[in-house]
Amino acid sequence: MTKIVVPGELVANSPQGMEFAFVENGKTYSSILGLFDEANPKLIPLEGAYIPVQYDIVVGIIEEVKFAGYNVDINSPYKGFLSAKDSRYEYELGDVISAKVREVDEVKNVDLEGARKLVGGEILEISSAKIPRVIGKKNSMLDMIRAAARSEIFVGKNGRIWVKGGNSALAVRAVLKVEKEAHTTGLTERISAFLNEEVNK
Amino acid sequence: MEKPKLLIDGKRCDGRAMNELRPLKIQAGVLNKADGSAYIEWGGNKILAAVYGPRECIPRHHASPYRAVIHCRYLMASFSTLDEHGRSGPNRRSIEVSKVIKEVFENVVVTEKFPKTAIDIFIEVLQADGGTRCAGITAVAVALADAGIPMRDLPCALAVGKIENEIVVDSGKLEDNYGDGDMPIAIAPRNNEILLLQMDGMFTKDELRKAFELAYAAFPKINALQVEALRAHYAVKKDEVGL
Amino acid sequence: MEILDEIKKDYIIDLMKKNKRPDDRGYLDYRPCTVEKGIFESAEGSARVKLGKTQVVAGVKIEMGTPFKDRPEEGVLSTTAELLPLASPTFEPGPPDECAIELARIVDRGIRSSNTIDLESLFIEKDKVLMVFVDVYVLDHDGNLIDASALAAMAALLNAKVPKIEEGKLIKAERIDNLKITQKVVTCTFSKIGSQIVLDPRLDEEKAMSARLTLATTPEHVCAMQKGGKGAFTSDELINLVDVSFEKGNELRKLLD
Repeated sequence: MTKIVVPGELVANSPQGMEFAFVENGKTYSSILGLFDEANPKLIPLEGAYIPVQYDIVVGIIEEVKFAGYNVDINSPYKGFLSAKDSRYEYELGDVISAKVREVDEVKNVDLEGARKLVGGEILEISSAKIPRVIGKKNSMLDMIRAAARSEIFVGKNGRIWVKGGNSALAVRAVLKVEKEAHTTGLTERISAFLNEEVNK
Repeated sequence: MEKPKLLIDGKRCDGRAMNELRPLKIQAGVLNKADGSAYIEWGGNKILAAVYGPRECIPRHHASPYRAVIHCRYLMASFSTLDEHGRSGPNRRSIEVSKVIKEVFENVVVTEKFPKTAIDIFIEVLQADGGTRCAGITAVAVALADAGIPMRDLPCALAVGKIENEIVVDSGKLEDNYGDGDMPIAIAPRNNEILLLQMDGMFTKDELRKAFELAYAAFPKINALQVEALRAHYAVKKDEVGL
Repeated sequence: MEILDEIKKDYIIDLMKKNKRPDDRGYLDYRPCTVEKGIFESAEGSARVKLGKTQVVAGVKIEMGTPFKDRPEEGVLSTTAELLPLASPTFEPGPPDECAIELARIVDRGIRSSNTIDLESLFIEKDKVLMVFVDVYVLDHDGNLIDASALAAMAALLNAKVPKIEEGKLIKAERIDNLKITQKVVTCTFSKIGSQIVLDPRLDEEKAMSARLTLATTPEHVCAMQKGGKGAFTSDELINLVDVSFEKGNELRKLLD
């Protein structure tokens, strides 16, 4: 049974090294509002800002062009930095890119690499806590939306989703539906039904 | 104004027993743009709490390399009391209240997870009926959780008052204005530690002891409503999708 | 600055674990404290308090004014605190910040809630009351500004004389009666450092503390309290500090005689 837990709620009577939890006096408590499954003890946050982690793929916006590289807005309290040495192209203010987080140091300087410019299309911003549901198990959700909308969709771990071509309006609506219902069960079936209905309209 | 009678036939002026809370309603996630929000109605209090962050700390020299800094702004709307039209913007009282509320959340928020950032807390008292800082704290805890900000606990708060020689919980505005003492307390319900404590009035040691006793008996009720508000916010969405 | 503070903090917390304070005081001892009354002629009342190396002065001015609309038969008490930039490198010029406001409001709360000044006795005639302004100036900051300020404010009030009143006007040059003071309110401020609770923290101890707690007392009652800082206290700790505050408060009250 998956249940909603709140900050400070007991999730285990023994110390557990769980993400989004903390241990006090030998017991484990959730530090977040999230979903908790006792059978598979893991905390899944329902909300929260994007905090970059090494190897995350993100969608960024060039925010400042500097001599040594670019400051990149990655929908996070922390800015990304893309070194000019590491980028094959010259970017301009406002360019949308996909990039990989190469490294995050202890004071949260975020180095990006492997940037690619995303031309045209549109950008959606959703809570980064819900990105795993947009992708689905083994990409299932994302593949389903891609197939139905025939759109190019690029999903950043940071809550930004780039959509281009095909029935992009449908893709956007599907993603927003996933975001809104992210914490519910039977989501895949519902989205599948929704997409079928819309495509056959 | 003549001092109103605050105790009538062993009951309080609004008919409550000494240890009885006023009606209390909390709703999570009421604002669209804020990262987290909550609305509380407690007696005649109507208060909105909103949270932004963690986000870039402005001004930047306020930022800490060790942790997120918490900013808190508690304000009362110019129309929030029956008194004359209030001046908008912070005054000495609201600046002090903002500071002590901020300290409550510095205790429980896992700030070390977000160095260099700021978490901004806003409390807007739209209608005031005594105990606004306590209602504000109770709402902010829900708003922070709704924002996905990690915390070690969900603080809640309550004002205990003294009327003549009685100790009462959850003083209303009349009791606050004409009573003989007021003691707002905020705690971390998991370990019962005191995170905010203020008091004015004349209390003996035994009265203080009694005040804590009554407050600690009431805190679990308030905390349960906070948890319920958070669960309901997500359960409501379940209903929307027909589950 | 912040990094240096973190290092010093670890040192102080370590010291506490070894049952020591940086200046070898007992946990519940005040630093040497002196109170001088009547140090300025310009004010109706004044005092200087030295608490260890912390130094504050307080002035009382008494004016004629109009009462608050909701309290037409009471005089007015106003308390402020100035954290002067000359007192510490961390104090900045400008309007009072949250720390100065909190300090003033704690001092005010103790005096007000205990009716130390009988505000009704300041009523002169309809729409005319005496206004008592208590202003605390911090001159040198070495910790525990609250107790030093409350003591200075109380001493200045005890020292204050009310000017002569003729035809509803104050004759400032002639100070006659003492301001009517019903009792002596003092505050005791405790710091929690690690798990230890100490009275009268020095500045270095304040930097290491997780929280502080102030109890304002008259001989029989606790008349105001304020917790500060991000740390926490238990209700047992607090109740235990009540008796300490009465006992230590009596020591401070003696300094006011």
